[in-house]
Amino acid sequence: MRVTIVQGLEQAYYNLVHMIAEFLPRLVVMLVIILVGLLAAYLLGHVVRAVLRLTKLDRVSEDAGASRVLRMADLPSMTELLSRSIFWITWLGFILIGVSVLGVAGLQEQISRLFRFLPEVFIAMVILFLGLVLANFLSRAVLLASVNAGVRSPKIWSWSIRFVIWILAISMALDELGLARQTVLAAFSIVFGASMLGLAIAFGLGGQDLARRALERYLGNTTKEKYKEPQPL
Amino acid sequence: MADETFLSDDLLRQLMSVGEVDLLVGILAHRSANTVRRAAHYVEKSLQQNFVRQRVAIISVDGGAVDDSGFDERSGDGEPGNNSSSKGMTSLRTIHRVSAAFNGAPSPGLALRTILSASDLLRARACAVVSPATSSTSPEWVANLLRPAFRDSFDFVAPLYSRHKFQGLLARNLLYPMTRALFGRRIRELYSDEWAFSNRLGNFCQNEDVWHEEPVRSRPEAWMGISALTSDFRCCQVYLGEKPPPPDGAGPDLVEVLRQTVGSLFWLLETNQQSWLERKGSDALPTFGPDHAVTAEPQELNRARMFEMFQTGVKELEPILESILSPQTLESIQGIATLDQHAFRFPAELWVTMLYEFAASYHHSVINRDHLVQALVPLYRGKIYSFLAEYADTSATEMEAVSENLCLEFERQKPYLMEKWKAGVEVKS
Amino acid sequence: MALQEDNLWYKDAVIYQLHVRTFCDSNGDGIGDFVGMTQRLDYLQELGTNTIWLLPFYPSPLRDDGYDIADYTTVHPSYGTLDDFKAFLTAAHNRGLRVIIEMVMNHTSDQHPWFQEARSSRDNPKRDWYVWSDTDAKYRGVRIIFIDTELSNWTWDPVSKSYYWHRFFSHQPDLNFDNPDVFEAMWEIMRFWLDMGVDGFRLDAVPYLVEREGTSCENLPETHAVIKEVRKRLDQFYPGRMLLAEANQWPADVRAYFGDGDEFHTAFHFPLMPRMFMAVKLEDRKPIIEILDQTPPIPANCQWCIFLRNHDELTLEMVTDVERDYMYDEYATDKTMRINLGIRRRLAPMMENDRRRIELLNGLLMSMPGTPIVYYGDEIGMGDNIYLGDRNGVRTPMQWNGGTNAGFSFADPERLYSPLISNSVYGYQVVNVDSQRRFSHSLLSWMKALIKTRNSYRVFSRGTMEFLRPSNHRVLAYIRELGNEKILVVNNLSSSAQAVELDVQRYKGYIPIEMFGRNLFPRFGDLPYLLTLGPYQFYWFRLRRI
Repeated sequence: MRVTIVQGLEQAYYNLVHMIAEFLPRLVVMLVIILVGLLAAYLLGHVVRAVLRLTKLDRVSEDAGASRVLRMADLPSMTELLSRSIFWITWLGFILIGVSVLGVAGLQEQISRLFRFLPEVFIAMVILFLGLVLANFLSRAVLLASVNAGVRSPKIWSWSIRFVIWILAISMALDELGLARQTVLAAFSIVFGASMLGLAIAFGLGGQDLARRALERYLGNTTKEKYKEPQPL
Repeated sequence: MADETFLSDDLLRQLMSVGEVDLLVGILAHRSANTVRRAAHYVEKSLQQNFVRQRVAIISVDGGAVDDSGFDERSGDGEPGNNSSSKGMTSLRTIHRVSAAFNGAPSPGLALRTILSASDLLRARACAVVSPATSSTSPEWVANLLRPAFRDSFDFVAPLYSRHKFQGLLARNLLYPMTRALFGRRIRELYSDEWAFSNRLGNFCQNEDVWHEEPVRSRPEAWMGISALTSDFRCCQVYLGEKPPPPDGAGPDLVEVLRQTVGSLFWLLETNQQSWLERKGSDALPTFGPDHAVTAEPQELNRARMFEMFQTGVKELEPILESILSPQTLESIQGIATLDQHAFRFPAELWVTMLYEFAASYHHSVINRDHLVQALVPLYRGKIYSFLAEYADTSATEMEAVSENLCLEFERQKPYLMEKWKAGVEVKS
Repeated sequence: MALQEDNLWYKDAVIYQLHVRTFCDSNGDGIGDFVGMTQRLDYLQELGTNTIWLLPFYPSPLRDDGYDIADYTTVHPSYGTLDDFKAFLTAAHNRGLRVIIEMVMNHTSDQHPWFQEARSSRDNPKRDWYVWSDTDAKYRGVRIIFIDTELSNWTWDPVSKSYYWHRFFSHQPDLNFDNPDVFEAMWEIMRFWLDMGVDGFRLDAVPYLVEREGTSCENLPETHAVIKEVRKRLDQFYPGRMLLAEANQWPADVRAYFGDGDEFHTAFHFPLMPRMFMAVKLEDRKPIIEILDQTPPIPANCQWCIFLRNHDELTLEMVTDVERDYMYDEYATDKTMRINLGIRRRLAPMMENDRRRIELLNGLLMSMPGTPIVYYGDEIGMGDNIYLGDRNGVRTPMQWNGGTNAGFSFADPERLYSPLISNSVYGYQVVNVDSQRRFSHSLLSWMKALIKTRNSYRVFSRGTMEFLRPSNHRVLAYIRELGNEKILVVNNLSSSAQAVELDVQRYKGYIPIEMFGRNLFPRFGDLPYLLTLGPYQFYWFRLRRI
C-alpha cells in the first residue's frame, strides 16, 4: 500500500517532472515568440508609421474627410491608427502562435474557434464604432441647435440622442455576435431604437436646418417670448 | 464640371435670340420671388436712362423654378410710354429680357453660375447682379455698379452702403475687419446682394471647379470677390446709398447667416492660403462716391436675452469650445461670461484671438466644420451684446474710429493666426 | 406705254427724285436742262420708276436751291424754255412716266415782283400779300428753323421801314394767306401747270402758311383750310392729280394733313427715314417698330411717301437728342458732314459703300408701306462731296459713263455747275450707269430687279403691314397682305449671320416662295419657322397656299 502510494507519487512526480520538462521549453519558446513578436510588431509599427508619415497619408485622409470622422470619434490620426493596428495585429498573431506552441489540449480548438468568430467580432466593432461616431455627431448637432435656439436644458436633448444611438448600436452589435438574442433588452432597443432613429436622423442629418428651426419654433416659443435680434447683415 | 450641360435648351434659345450684348444685369430672384417684377422694372429703367446706346440684357434667374419670371408678357418692342417724341432719355435699342428657371436645389451659387454662363455666351463686357430683396434699390444703383466695370475696366465692383451704426453688425465686427486684415484689401461689403464684375473675372470664375462647394453655393459673391483679390483682378467699391435692413423675419436667421458668411470666410481662408499668409497690412480700394456712411438713430433691441444666450452657450458648449479654443482663450471667455450683465464687455483683443482660433481650428478640422461655425453663434451674440451696450450713445463719426481700431486689432494679431494655422494637428484627448 | 387711268396711281408709284440741273446738259453750258433730261427718260423707264419728282426749276436768285421763286409760271433760262418743259412732259407721259413738280406756296423770293411791289410803299395793293409788322415782337416764341443762319423770323425792310415775316431765309418773305387774293393768285399758278399736264405738286413748307398770335404758327386750322380749298378745286377740275405734303413733323401731326382724305393725297414720313439708318447701325429693329407703331392709320385714299435720302440733309429733326447724337457719331464723325440738324451725305458713303447694307436699306424702302422715292444717283451708288458748301455735296452731276464729264455734259469741266465726283472709290470712272448696265450683278441691275419685283405686286403699295416679333431683335420681319396676296419680308439688320424663329402659325399650310429666285421653301407648319440669314441679308417671300 505504502509502496503503491510511493509508486503513485513517484509516478506523479515523474509525470510532473516529465510534463514540466516537456512544458517549460515550450513555455520558454512561447515567451520568446511573444517577445520576438512584440519586438517585431513594435518595429513594424514604427516602420509603417514612418512610411505613412513620409507618404503624407494624413494629408490624404484629411482631404478625403476621413480624419474628420476619426476626430469626431475622438480617435487619433489615420497614421497613428493604422500603425497601432499593425502593431496589435502583428503581436496578436505572434501571441497566438506562441500559445499554439504550448500544445495545450483544447486550446488549439479554442483558438481556431476564435479565428472563426473573428469576422463577427469585427463587424460588431465596426457597428459600435459607427454608432459612436454617429452618436457623437448627432448629439453635438442637437446640442448646438438647442443652444443657438435658446432651448432650456440643451444637454438633456443631446444626451437623449446620444443614448438612443448607443443603445441601438450596442443591440445591433450584440445581435451581430449572436448573443442575448432573446433578451428583452435587445427587443426593446430595436423597437425603441428604430422609432427614435428616424427622429435622430431628422434632427441630425436629414434636415439639420429644418429641424433646428422646428426646434426653435416648437420648443423655443414655449420657453421664451419671441425676441428681436439685430440684423447681422 | 466644365463639360456639364446645365443650361436649359429654353435658356439657350433665349440667349441665341439676344446675341451679343455690352451689359448684362442678373436678378437673383430666388432670394425673394415676389419682388422680381419691381426689380426688373428698375433695372430696365436704369438701362434705359444710363446706357442708351449699349446692347443690354436682363436675366432673371429663378432658383425655385417659379413660373413667374417677373417680366411682362410683351417684350421690348413698342413699349408703352416709350414715346420717341418725348425728349427723355431712352435706350435706342431693345432691352432684352431673359428668364432662366432651373430645377433642383435653389442656390445663389447655381444662379450666379447661370448668370456667368449667360454673360459668357452673350459676350457681355460687364455684368451686375442685383437682388429684389433690397428694398431701397434704385435705377441709379444699377448704373453705378455697372459703370466702373464697363467704363473704367474694373473687374470686381463691390457696393458701399449708408447704414445705421447698429446695422450690418456682422460685417462691422467680423467679416470686414477679418477679411481686411487677412487678405489685405479693404472691401467693406464682401457679403452683399449687389455687385458687378467684368467679363474677365466672370470667365475666370466660371471656369473654377468649385461650384459644388457649399460656401460658393450659398455666398458666391464673397468667393468671387476674394477670387478677384487673390488673382490680382482690379477691384473697386462704389457707393450706392442707404440700405435698410430686411423686414423682421424676412431673411435667414442668425445661425444660418453665420453658417453662410463666416463659414464661407473660413473656407475662403482655407482655399486661398497662399495669397493671404504672406500679406501684411491692408490697402484701400479705389472708391467711387463717399466711402461708407453711418447714421445713428436710436434702435430698440432685446439685449437681455442676447446676453443670456451667450452665457448659456459658453456653459453648455464647453466641451465643443474646448476642442476649438486654446485653454487660455476659453478661460478668458468663461471669465467674462460670469460677469454681471451691466459690467460685461467683450474686449476686442479677446474677440480677435478667439476668431483666429476658430479659423485655425476650422483649418485643422478639429470638429465638424459646420458645427464649429455654429459654436460661434453664442459668442457672436455676446460680442454684439457688448457692442450695442458699449456704443449706444456713440456718434456716427466716433463709430468709424471704433471700427478702424477693431480692424487694426485684427491686423495686429494676424501673426498669431499664421502661427496657429501652420501648427500641426493637435490631437486633443 | 401711255398713262393708265387710275386716280390712285400715286399709291403704286415709285418716284425718282431729281433736279433738272444735275441730270443731263444738252447745250454744253455745264448745267443740266430739260432737253437733256428728255433724252435720258429711257433710263428712268428702264429703271422701273414710274414717276418723276422735279425739284424747283423756276426763275430764281438760287439762294435756296430754287425754293426762292421769282417767277412761278416759267422755266429758269439755264434749264431751257417753257416749250422744252412741255416737250419733256409729253415725252414722259408717252413713256408712262408721271411728273410731279414743286410748288412753294408759303413764300416767294424777295426778288419776286409781288414782293418788290409790296415793299415799294405801304399803300401798294400788293402790300397786304405779305406779312408786315412795325415791330419784331409779334408771334414771339415761334421757333426759328434755320438756326444756323437766321436770328429772327422778322427782318427789317429798309425800303418800307417795317419788318416782314419769314419762317425760312430772310430773302424768302412769307405770303399772307389771310388775304384771299394771295390764294387766288396761287391757284392761278397751279392751274397754269395743271392745264399743261403735270400730274401733281409737292407742296413745300406746308405747316407754315398762316400765322396767329399766341400759337407756334405751325399746323394751324386756318392752314388746313387753305389746303382743303386747293384739294377741293383740284378734285373738281383736275381729278387724278396729286398733292404731296412736305411737313417735317411727327406722324401724329402729319396725319392731320390727310384730313378725312380731303387734304393731301400723300405726305412724307420723315421720322421713319433716320430710324431705318439707326436700326441698321444699332442692329436692332426697335427704332423702326417703335415709329411705325406710333404712326396713326390714314384714310384709304391716302399714302405715305418714304425715302432714304433726298436733296436735303438727312434730317434729324424728328429724333430725340439721344438718337441724334448717336446718328452723328455713327454716320457723321467728320463735323463737315453735318449741317443744320442733319447729315449731308449720300446713301452709299453712309453705308461705307457696303453693297449688302445698301441693298438692305433699299429692300426695306421698297417693302415697307408707302410710296418709295429714289434720289437720283443712289441707284448706282454715287458718292458725295462733303467739301462743297451747303448741301451741294449731294447734288453733283449724274454719272452716266466714264467719259468726258461723266457723260453729263460736253462743256469744259471747269464750266460745270458743280465739280464731278472723281475719287477712286465713287468717281464717275468707277461708278456710272454705263458700266453698271453691263453687268447683271451691278447695283443698278439689282435695283432694276428690286423695283420690278415691287411693281409686280400691288400688295407692296397698297397692302397692310403686320410685324412679326421674333425674339431675335436683330431681325425685322413683317407680313404685307392685300386680299389673297401675302408677302413675308424678313430682314437681318446685323452684320453677322442670324437665326430666327418666326411664329407663322396663322399662315400654317402656306408655302413661302422666295421672290427673286422663285424657289420654294419648306411649308409653314405648327412649329416656329426657322430661317437663317447672312449678314444684312433679307428675304421676300410670297406666301402661297398650294
